[in-house]
Amino acid sequence: MENLLPQIDTFLQAAIRMSIPLILTGIGTLYTERCGIINIGVEGSMLIGTFVAVTAAMVTGNIYIAVLCAMIAGGLMSLIFAFLAVSRRADQMVVGFGINLLAGGLTLTLMPYLNANRARTILFPVVNTGFLKDIPILGPVLFDQSIAVWMALILTPISAWILYKTTWGLSLRAVGENSKAVATAGLSVIRLRYTGILLGGIFAGLGGATLALNDLGFFVPNMTQSRGFIVLAALVVGKWNPFYFAGVCLLFGAADALQLRAQSFGSVLPYQFYLMLPYLLTIAALAGLVGKTKAPKEYSKPYDPTHF
Amino acid sequence: MKEEPEERNITEMQQGLIDFILAGSRPVVSIVLAFLVSGVIIFLQGINPLEAYSAVLRGAFGSMVAFGNTCVRTTPLLIGALGMTLGIRGGLFNVGAEGQLYIGAAAATTVGLLPLPVPSWLHILLSISAGILGGSLWAFLPAYLRAFRGVSEIVVTIMLNFVAIYFVSYLVHEPKLLAQEGASYAQSRTILESAYLPILVKGTSMHIGIIIAVILAFILHFVLNHTSFGFRTRMVGANPEAAHYAGVKVRSSLFVTFLIVGGFSGLMGTVEILGLKHSLYDYFSVGMGYETITVALLGGVNPLGVIPAAFFFGGLRAGGNLMQQTVGVSSSMVPVIQALAVLFVVGFGFTKRKPKIQKTMTQQ
Repeated sequence: MENLLPQIDTFLQAAIRMSIPLILTGIGTLYTERCGIINIGVEGSMLIGTFVAVTAAMVTGNIYIAVLCAMIAGGLMSLIFAFLAVSRRADQMVVGFGINLLAGGLTLTLMPYLNANRARTILFPVVNTGFLKDIPILGPVLFDQSIAVWMALILTPISAWILYKTTWGLSLRAVGENSKAVATAGLSVIRLRYTGILLGGIFAGLGGATLALNDLGFFVPNMTQSRGFIVLAALVVGKWNPFYFAGVCLLFGAADALQLRAQSFGSVLPYQFYLMLPYLLTIAALAGLVGKTKAPKEYSKPYDPTHF
Repeated sequence: MKEEPEERNITEMQQGLIDFILAGSRPVVSIVLAFLVSGVIIFLQGINPLEAYSAVLRGAFGSMVAFGNTCVRTTPLLIGALGMTLGIRGGLFNVGAEGQLYIGAAAATTVGLLPLPVPSWLHILLSISAGILGGSLWAFLPAYLRAFRGVSEIVVTIMLNFVAIYFVSYLVHEPKLLAQEGASYAQSRTILESAYLPILVKGTSMHIGIIIAVILAFILHFVLNHTSFGFRTRMVGANPEAAHYAGVKVRSSLFVTFLIVGGFSGLMGTVEILGLKHSLYDYFSVGMGYETITVALLGGVNPLGVIPAAFFFGGLRAGGNLMQQTVGVSSSMVPVIQALAVLFVVGFGFTKRKPKIQKTMTQQ
């Protein structure tokens, strides 16, 4: 029984740590979704971000430059998406899957050349909070985390504030609800959508960087393991609200942490069921949200300025 | 209007011909561009792209064995893309093919393992039926939620994919269920030979799955375009409100279409096991279900169009292995080529020019 408390502590700490890539990615993807775009290619942007982060970290030895490069890379991938989905008005789902396929192939092809998975590289530094991390129970969980966790902690309310309290945030949300009205008001729907998509890509790159550099320090094939899809699902379950979304991500992080431990504490259920758990919960939540899914009304509809 | 009736007909026909050529040429141009861009990437790796591509061609079509490999890779993609095409035309976007194919494969494997006292053709038929039913079953929940509750099928199907993959993983790890004891890589016990799909050409891996797939394409084309069921389905896909107004039961149509699409995905997994692998391996599909989405699009969301699209993807996969072996270019360049082809196709778009009649009317 004495072992239980530290075990719970490490579990909670891991839960938070594993939810960070999801939360950071989602901060940007939230903007994309709110302006009415489903960027299923966020998975590809994340994967590219992971790969570039590790490579840049190995080449430069500076983690901040690595993260910046990852963000740029993620942004570039989403730029392709933005061009095809907004300017060329292609079907967003197909473009998204195409981008994922491209990202997967590119990372696998370039991996041997850049030694991305050979040596461990530097990680995010842990923030030293002095005595705070010695507080029983909550101390290690909240105050012994890396800078990435603090980033997510700070950026979530900031992004919520921008989305709900600024004029730009309002315009963005309006595009997702009624793009024609926004156009009539004289704003550029296209420019707003590009911005929303680019933000999504940049943060996906950040989330991907966190995935590799927060804990592991190297790249493996298909490292993101469809986390991009999970971000999209979490956004739906979280009703496109930054705080609810973060909560859902924490649940996924907890499930991830739980499943790793389930293999060691010898449970009755096979470990695959622990893996399934978050997905089953998501489905249950979605089925329960029946009739109340307040998706942005313009969800996945291309904006066609020539047809009014 | 100045043109006389006969002249206008000829102009329309010429216009139609030009549109048809343009529509057909877009995928071709996109594929050429995809090869060009990928060629640059290959060149940057210090390898001659022409050598790489000739290896791909040889690996895909260079011999009967190679062609057999191509057919084998094409078969599941074609079947899955047909299902995807039906879904899209019917107003659905099924991202759940991956999960449905796993469940279909598991169901088919289970029947394939049973020592039934029946002739081989019946054993195969029963296994295939089980596979189709398995896929349909897995589509039941998203189908219901979409048709009768208006819940978007996109996220639900993705979640179910994960559940299916882990469930099947459990099945092939547990000896009391399907697992092969003592296997180095988790897999099911090998199915009985009576359930193997017959091979078409001795010495190759080409099984009858390809014939089944191509026939299915023609059947789907016929059903979609020449039956009232197909017409109703397309109506629901094109304009649900109009269909409803015309008396079509939109919700039932969506539901049934979704179940059929699930059946296609289940069949996709089934042929892979019965025809090629003969055993259900853990994680045997690496994104095949998602690939069918891109194949369906490249084929113009058209049952006949997906045949060449599927062969293109299948040929690339088959040829990619030879490319890696002989020239040293990683076979992971294949998804790069595929993705670029798809992105270029959608980039050029399918927008048709406005027909001439409309133009003259707006000019007045």
